[in-house]
Amino acid sequence: MSKDLTITIDGAPEPRGPYVHARRHGVLVYVTAQIGRDPKTGDFVKGGFEAEFNQAIDNVEAILMAAGSSLDRVVKAQIEFVDESDLDAMNRIYGERFHEPLPARTSFGAAFLWKGARVQIDCIAALD
Amino acid sequence: MPSAHKGVVSRRGPQPTGSYPHAHIQGNMVWVTAQAGRDPSSGELVEGGMAGQMDRAISNLEAILEECGSSLDRVIRTQIMYTDRADLEAMDEVYARRFHAPLPVRTTWGVKFLAAEPGTELVRVQIDCVAAAG
Repeated sequence: MSKDLTITIDGAPEPRGPYVHARRHGVLVYVTAQIGRDPKTGDFVKGGFEAEFNQAIDNVEAILMAAGSSLDRVVKAQIEFVDESDLDAMNRIYGERFHEPLPARTSFGAAFLWKGARVQIDCIAALD
Repeated sequence: MPSAHKGVVSRRGPQPTGSYPHAHIQGNMVWVTAQAGRDPSSGELVEGGMAGQMDRAISNLEAILEECGSSLDRVIRTQIMYTDRADLEAMDEVYARRFHAPLPVRTTWGVKFLAAEPGTELVRVQIDCVAAAG
């Protein structure tokens, strides 16, 4: 059996499905895709795409910190969003939140996301 | 191919329909190709809509993982793509029945379509994973 650590914290929205917030394995931490839900209320934050994406990144950051990593150690990020017209805002906010050395990234348009979310982001990060 | 890498095609999973193995092993990690709800012997999609397809897709993952010296309870991360938002609850119900603590992290999203062979029922879901081996 694996001795991997599973991480689920109060500082990120409670999972609404059969998954944990993060798993540590070897030198990496894997994070479940986060959407723009307020960790306290569990509801989507108001303010449209930009607010949702900032909150989603806040959630990823809180999880990474609890797992012993941080945004500046993200190796790979993956972003799904539903409206092509949000692309510029997505790139701008991402550029404000992630700094050198920037992670590899895959982003694409999804047909739909959980309960009407406009955007979600997951990542794999280093522990050291 | 570097010696620390190995591609695996299992007789217990539906045979690949493109240029990919069922899994790629590197070090102590197994990277598994996305699986749909196809019967491993016939290659046909199973019946039962989302629930039937999801259950079979996870069974395919399980067979491939076991062939690679891993198992469902060593899965670290899954990705799920599905075509109909109305299938969410059925998908989660099957997933929760098949995966147990320590649960993997998960990324799930809706897609416009999934690859299907002509004349078969629509592929409603596929799932891939990364797991630890050994």
